[in-house]
Amino acid sequence: MHGVKRVKYTREALAVKKERDLAKLKEYESLTGEVLARKKAKDWSQEAFDLTTKLLHINPEFYTIWNYRRNILLNGLFPQRTPAQINDLLSDDLSLTTTFLKQHPKVYWIWNHRQWCLQQVPDGPTETDPDGWRHAYWNKELFVVEKMLDADPRNFHAWPYRRYVLAHMPAKRSEQSELAYTKRKIEANFSNFSAWHQRSKVLTSMWEAGKLDKAKSLEEEFELVQNAMYTDPNDQSVWIYHRWLIGPGDNKAIVDREIASIQELLDEQPDSKWCMESLVFYKRLSLRRHGNGMTSEERARLDRECLELLTKLQTIDPDRKQRYVDLARNSPSVQ
Amino acid sequence: MTSTLDIPLHVKYIQSLGENKDDLVYHLTAHLRMNAIYWGLTALCVMKHQDALNREEMIEFVMSCWDDEAGAFGAHPDHDAHLLSTLSAIQILIMQDALDRIDVPRVAKYILSLQQPSGVFAGDSFGEIDTRFLYCAVNALSLLGYLHELDVERTVGYIRRCRNFDGGFGAREGAESHAAHVFVCVAALAILDRLDEVDEDMLSWWLAERQVPNGGLNGRPEKLEDVCYSFWVLSAMSVLNKLEWINSEKLIAFILSAQASDVLQGTEPSLQDLEHGGISDRPGDQPDVFHTQFGVAGKSITVRLSILGYPDLEDLDPVYCMPAKLIEARGLRKGWKALPRKVSV
Repeated sequence: MHGVKRVKYTREALAVKKERDLAKLKEYESLTGEVLARKKAKDWSQEAFDLTTKLLHINPEFYTIWNYRRNILLNGLFPQRTPAQINDLLSDDLSLTTTFLKQHPKVYWIWNHRQWCLQQVPDGPTETDPDGWRHAYWNKELFVVEKMLDADPRNFHAWPYRRYVLAHMPAKRSEQSELAYTKRKIEANFSNFSAWHQRSKVLTSMWEAGKLDKAKSLEEEFELVQNAMYTDPNDQSVWIYHRWLIGPGDNKAIVDREIASIQELLDEQPDSKWCMESLVFYKRLSLRRHGNGMTSEERARLDRECLELLTKLQTIDPDRKQRYVDLARNSPSVQ
Repeated sequence: MTSTLDIPLHVKYIQSLGENKDDLVYHLTAHLRMNAIYWGLTALCVMKHQDALNREEMIEFVMSCWDDEAGAFGAHPDHDAHLLSTLSAIQILIMQDALDRIDVPRVAKYILSLQQPSGVFAGDSFGEIDTRFLYCAVNALSLLGYLHELDVERTVGYIRRCRNFDGGFGAREGAESHAAHVFVCVAALAILDRLDEVDEDMLSWWLAERQVPNGGLNGRPEKLEDVCYSFWVLSAMSVLNKLEWINSEKLIAFILSAQASDVLQGTEPSLQDLEHGGISDRPGDQPDVFHTQFGVAGKSITVRLSILGYPDLEDLDPVYCMPAKLIEARGLRKGWKALPRKVSV
């Protein structure tokens, strides 16, 4: 468990703890033994099912028991039931996993079981409304995952799960609304790289499908990023995202404008490693992409500026010194 | 205050891990056992103490985890087969020179059967997909000599689709870059001789930026440093030949300071623990079983120190996460570079 502080026990407390643990252990071993024996015997009964519930409450990471539970449902409980009853069973298991996720938000097996349950939802409630149950579940799923992301906006199980739910909902949410969601998350905390990442995916998808005017959209993104940069110039999420927005640097006007903007920020924050690092990257990008249209003085100037910045970076960011040395070595003027 | 690696202490610690049978936590982590043994053995090999654990007992344990229905290995006796434990089993048997104990074609068949149409691998028959499983499959097939049966284009195609705007890779298509997934994708590409799929400059930059001011490494931007993640970051950087882009001295100091400690006076915990020999994820935190069994024994310390050139350790192959000698002997060594091994601290 990450981030749990160490506790020093007194000798007495240690002894009591040891005895209690031994009792718990005996109980656990006996329960495990029984469940695994039933599994080997292909026991698909309600009793077996209830035992897996008990065991999973103690140890929700015991993947083999989740497997067994699913097999009991498939081989034992589902076959004798109506779609409505199956639906109820799945509903119960979804509630169970919700409870588990509150205490164990990062356990793969719990997320997996949830997904499996959703995949099993039968057609219903009626023939004319075969997706009714599914609709209800998927909407609830989105709600659940949003709660998880409110609790921990960087939970990297929750984000893929969110993408999964969005992709499989019978009534799809618009990408526009997802874009808005990422913006809310970003504005709540500029440091939320997961939200920036998601935004990059949604935008790419919308640009490729022609759903958004890319040029206009890019301008809005640059504005958003600049706001973030000025608020917290030390946050790498913002700078990484900015580099993606610039991309191959085809638009010289934009590259020049952004270089100027970052230079302004650097003037205010002369020790900003990120400003310097980005300026080097964009100036070199400009040289590679647009160098042919420049005068030799301009090229030499840019190159010199990069070398100066790289020298400064070796002092400002000494842990990564060698990278800056390597980059300086690759300068055209050094060759 | 010691700031060196106390090898005998760590060897003893690894030996003790299998003796915690009265510990509830030991039983609660049975589902990680195969993997824990693999890491423990790897650490012992790196520390040149492979014999500290009994070879026959270990082989017997591995074989007792054979799931004959599936044709592969579970994490523990009576646990279902899974790709994670199957890879660990293969790695253990190779380190113990006992691969002949298994039905290699059958295991290869199990592994190949888990590839999905998209190119990714499922972890087991229940279908969870993750690039970690893709790496397990590629690594295992390579070790078994069955890589030629893999649909390489389909596999590489999936990795390509996991590549993000920052040069990194995620757990699946669409997922955020994360050090563990960067490692598995880069290592899988290395095995498949397809490192051309990596934007080396961009990704090396992203990896170098994992080093935080205290010298530790995190797994994603703006997250706390974590002993677990630094192995993934280091291995990936080793494969890309960019280890010089971080401050290795500072990292070594950080790693050594995270060895769990109880200063005899009971004041602020800091350096090497003379009672425990375990390691926590951050100095001062409880050395928990996940980090001890799963992380600490192996990848937390000795394995990372090996890549960082710490003296008196064996070379580790960062692509396969196994002793470099063994991988070289099988003709599987790729073009990675660790830091040169120091003669003394």
